[in-house]
Amino acid sequence: MREHIQGAVQFVANNRLKFDRPEQPIDALPDPGQTFGYVNKPVPQPSTKELLEKLDTPEIKARCADLLSRYPVGQAALLEVLWLVQGVFGWVPREGIRWAANVCGCAPAHAFGVATFYTMYNHAPKGKFLLQFCRNISCTIKGAQSIIAYAEQCLNIKTGETTPDGLFTLLQVECLGSCGNGPMMLVNDDFATDAEGDELTMKPGTTLTKESFDRILKWCYAHEDNMPKHDVLGGMVKGHGGHPGAPGATAKPQVADYAPPSPVLCVKAEADETGATLTWKGAPEFTKLVVEKKDGSNWVAVGEPGVKDKAFVDAAGKVNDEYRMIATSGERVAKPSAVAVTTQKPAPAEEKKV
Amino acid sequence: MSNFYNMPKLPTENSPKVEIFVDDKAVMVPGDTNLLEALKAVGIETPHVCYHPYLPVSGNCRQCLVEQEGPRGRMLVIACYTPVTPGMKIFTPASSARVKNARKATQEFMLVNHPLDCPICDKAGECTLQENYMEAGQNESRMRPEYGKNYHGNPDHQFIDAKGQVRGGKHVDLGPRVLLDEERCVQCDRCVRFMRSIAKSEQLQLAGRADHTYITTFPGEKLDHEYDLCVTDVCPVGAMTAKYFRFQKRVWLLSHTPTISMDDSLGANIWLDHADGRIYRVMPRCNPEVNRSWLSNTSRLAFQGFNKNRLPAMGFNVIKSAMGEGKVAVVMGGACTIEDMAAARMLKDSMGDKVELFGGSLLKVSEPDGIAKSGDPCANRAGLKLMGFADVSELLKRAGEFKVLLTVNADLFGEDAAAAKALEAIPSRIAFSAFNDETAKKATLAFGIKHWSEVQGTMVNNLNILQKLNACPVCPDAELRAAYDVISELAGKKFESASAAFKKAGEYASVLAGLSYDTIKSTGKLLEGGEA
Amino acid sequence: MAECVKVCTQNFGKGAQDIEVYKKLGGYANISERLFNMSQFELIDYVQRSNLRGRGGAGFPTGMKWSFVPRGTGKPVYIVVNADEGEGGTFKDHFLMMEDPHRLIEGLIIAAWALGTRAAYIYCRGEFLPCIESLNKALNQAYAAGYLGENICGTKFCFDIFVHRGAGAYICGEETALINSLEGQKGQPRLKPPFPAVSGAWKSPTCVNNVETIMSLPWILSHDPSEYAKMGTPRAGGTKVFCISGDVKNPGVYEAPLGTPMMTMINDYAGGVVGGNLKAVLPGGSSCAPLTAEEAAVATMDYECLASMKTMFGSGAMIVINDTHNMVDLLNCLGNFYSHESCGQCTPCREGTGLLHRILNQIVAGQGHDGDVELMQSLCGGFGGVTICPLSISLGGPVGSYSAKFRADFDEYIAKNPDHAKPRIQETYRPGIFW
Repeated sequence: MREHIQGAVQFVANNRLKFDRPEQPIDALPDPGQTFGYVNKPVPQPSTKELLEKLDTPEIKARCADLLSRYPVGQAALLEVLWLVQGVFGWVPREGIRWAANVCGCAPAHAFGVATFYTMYNHAPKGKFLLQFCRNISCTIKGAQSIIAYAEQCLNIKTGETTPDGLFTLLQVECLGSCGNGPMMLVNDDFATDAEGDELTMKPGTTLTKESFDRILKWCYAHEDNMPKHDVLGGMVKGHGGHPGAPGATAKPQVADYAPPSPVLCVKAEADETGATLTWKGAPEFTKLVVEKKDGSNWVAVGEPGVKDKAFVDAAGKVNDEYRMIATSGERVAKPSAVAVTTQKPAPAEEKKV
Repeated sequence: MSNFYNMPKLPTENSPKVEIFVDDKAVMVPGDTNLLEALKAVGIETPHVCYHPYLPVSGNCRQCLVEQEGPRGRMLVIACYTPVTPGMKIFTPASSARVKNARKATQEFMLVNHPLDCPICDKAGECTLQENYMEAGQNESRMRPEYGKNYHGNPDHQFIDAKGQVRGGKHVDLGPRVLLDEERCVQCDRCVRFMRSIAKSEQLQLAGRADHTYITTFPGEKLDHEYDLCVTDVCPVGAMTAKYFRFQKRVWLLSHTPTISMDDSLGANIWLDHADGRIYRVMPRCNPEVNRSWLSNTSRLAFQGFNKNRLPAMGFNVIKSAMGEGKVAVVMGGACTIEDMAAARMLKDSMGDKVELFGGSLLKVSEPDGIAKSGDPCANRAGLKLMGFADVSELLKRAGEFKVLLTVNADLFGEDAAAAKALEAIPSRIAFSAFNDETAKKATLAFGIKHWSEVQGTMVNNLNILQKLNACPVCPDAELRAAYDVISELAGKKFESASAAFKKAGEYASVLAGLSYDTIKSTGKLLEGGEA
Repeated sequence: MAECVKVCTQNFGKGAQDIEVYKKLGGYANISERLFNMSQFELIDYVQRSNLRGRGGAGFPTGMKWSFVPRGTGKPVYIVVNADEGEGGTFKDHFLMMEDPHRLIEGLIIAAWALGTRAAYIYCRGEFLPCIESLNKALNQAYAAGYLGENICGTKFCFDIFVHRGAGAYICGEETALINSLEGQKGQPRLKPPFPAVSGAWKSPTCVNNVETIMSLPWILSHDPSEYAKMGTPRAGGTKVFCISGDVKNPGVYEAPLGTPMMTMINDYAGGVVGGNLKAVLPGGSSCAPLTAEEAAVATMDYECLASMKTMFGSGAMIVINDTHNMVDLLNCLGNFYSHESCGQCTPCREGTGLLHRILNQIVAGQGHDGDVELMQSLCGGFGGVTICPLSISLGGPVGSYSAKFRADFDEYIAKNPDHAKPRIQETYRPGIFW
């Protein structure tokens, strides 16, 4: 075997430099962030023990069981379970995401992707009052930027920051779906344009002003210790049996024959020299169609058009004959269609429509 | 992304041919596939980034746009997701300025936030973006510096560089074998789809959204999977790079030898990428029937030991004398080619009943993983059966009958020392081996031969497909010879070439008769009638 | 202003959140023998005849959407109510769900009867927690009253409604993204076909309908379908809940028949423009092209008229802008919004919306250059019809139309940059130490 001096130029021929390299992979350089400094500070995460203490409670277990029973696949409950985590901590710690993934039976990486995709999951602790100002077009028209500037000045923080006392976090968000009250804001989960007495309100036609923002701030300070607490999922619904087949669900699948069988609709009969032509609107589940004609007081079957047919011709049909159609879907026979009285076919120009 | 993407339908030899109109010209294309594959079949390349024939279609790069005539006029559609329908009218950039502009625009968008570091990027030379730029882009930059770049990056890794620009993570340690450059990622999500749909272990995910999307594992976890190096193959840009190959060689300086990985009976098709007389990397070679385009880390990284611990070559006469009198047991290992076996059969012919032939391995057979490994470490087991070799377990029972043990690439002592102890009863043990392994150390005579990466030959995999190995010019010692070469000389009739040996093999196995190297395609030849 | 029949908003301000009040106001009257004697096919035909079109923005005929749902496949059929309202200017669903949650439940029972649905989901955006609370309260009452659950009112029909709280993603208003989100994935639109009506949530047929669409059903069923069809235009029946916001005296939610003239909406319903003269109107939410004051004078609020004026009816969310505003500021808002809400799937949208936003930021910051507007227009050309969903066009369209109709506003901003006429510096990109 050839022995080369590592790293040295071996020979130069045909303008091609030939190097012999060490066969070990080159170690990675230190992360440039360590040289230059990271943009974002790492968020201190709670320990797993602390996290599980708060999450493995009977109430949360009951909520999770309820959520999992609502969807055919466990993964579907992921968003809601993440909400539960956020409800406990006020933000979603990373191990909380893993916990949610385990509850829903999906990969932790998937849950992390989901938790970072949606903007309402906080990945760092927020202040006690999360003030979210809408900055979308309608609110901007009505002066949202000046209100936001005023709020920044009042709280002496910039957008995205938390006050040093940990009371307020200020955020600018996209449309909050209350443009008629623009500019407006969310205080935690409550829409607010004003604070009246003990409550945050958003009455039709009111908008957020500097004065009403002052009142809202005052309300916040007053409720620092007795903050109205919302359930993150807006409360539990009692009485549902879940999704059929889901774990813990008692619901049974829908029976196929809960509704009466489909009759034939829009039966029309028009007579011309070839007889009476019937047209109708049929459902895709029909398996058999029978055309009946009134003969005195009895209905006599005159033909069985195919279920895919668009028209049926009764050669003996005349004007003022009465027809009806009876559809069968599988085992079930529907009620007869409305009786169609044959009319004279209008001018042939309209024939194309049939 | 959505879990419900479907695998693309790929054309086969039996695909029905349908007529479609490409740029107003009628062409016959495979009818049961997507437009991108159909156009490829008639020689029209469509640039694409996220599409991969063996991954579910996610259709997010929007690079493969073509125009299709529909009920509402001519619409832009993505070729990778549009099924071929008979009579469809398609317009490519050759006739449609709109397609050309749309592709150019997509290319421009793709490069907006992509760093211009091709000169130091490991993927340069085989980068999809570079290829597409030549194909569809070639825009002059219209960006002003003050618009800035919004590099994709994990907020945990973002830093501000010397110019004040916020940058994403560079060479992030994604796992034991893969490094990630977050800025270069173009969010094609091929790696995500690979890990989810092929490797069945969703370890990677795109986090965040809009132009803050970045690829990541779960924070604190490492990408670690038997197939994790495949993500560096599917990565169209230099975002995911393999640590073992990083900065080792410019890819355009590599030569490629197509061959078969002989460490598993599936016989994964590989490229040996070599330069300067050594292998730099092993890449999967696409074979739809065998390993598609996947390769396990074990097979991929095995090359690092190919030139280590080798046995030196020896004079031929030494073996000749060592054979001596008495019964000879020849044991061929799984890495032996059909040619080696033909030579052994010839040895038996020349020495008569004195010689008995065995083959196989003492390693345990495990379950196939459904990707690129059958779980059987005896690569050429089907070939051994075809050439009439008894299993090596037979030899262990009758070890006492033999006076000479000739092992060829069969490291019996290394594989199962306890079971192989019975063989120590055989007084004269000759080891033909590429490596100085346990058997070679225990042998009375160890004779160095060429490794399977350095020989030409054939093997039959567990799907009964005859596959061709090619010799990679990386043999560390010019004196080393291939096993068939040595054994045939021992038998008295030295093969002139591997193809002559293969021809001889046809005399022993009827299914091989009439075949030659030229008739075996790069994807192998399915043997009829033989046992799998 | 003619007195209009109130289809969806009749119970506003009457305390209909309580089931007893709602029943007194005529609620749940449809959940009776009349409905139970109707076959699925008859009911779908009934809705088709009413000419009801989807109220979410695309305006697809509801009955036709339902008729696409394959029946008898053995798979469950889902109804998902799209309450992920988040487009700038749209706020009707918020108030509809707050004021009249039982009407939504009643409408859902009717829709479920038509489609054979066992489980329906109301996908409500995360910010609307008060709506979710109001809905959950109503659901509890409806379960207690026997309108939901097993064997409703003694029939074989079983039906459950679940409220799913989203978590802040505008794109989940797109129906396939909404389904992905419901499945616990990222809300990214899916490739089509298959359409959700054939293979949607959990690969089962799924109908995604807007809140307002579902809430129109009780009225339609208790009246004749032709009566509903009569109220609108020939191609779209009924009334519409309009949201009027921006520079008007009384912004809010107003129900009016389709085809009402735009100026009637602004002057009679919303009390006229305040703070200046009318400059522009966005007739269908933030993603549509604006109409100038002259155009607004002749426009009527319906699908066809607005389409003919190269804008769209969308969700009927009118944003009125007076002449004290510079359109570039508003466009910058949209750039902010759409670049923030892009799902990050398709390349043009992911990178392009962000780039447009950066260019707009430059212009607004007084750093604009000559040619920036042309560059933006050219970039928007790369959005047209190339992405999975129309979000990129929702920004590309306004950029094109704002700059075409209000070019003077752009020039005014660009002129603020003293160097605006300087050619682009062909500076080679020279990165720092680490590339």
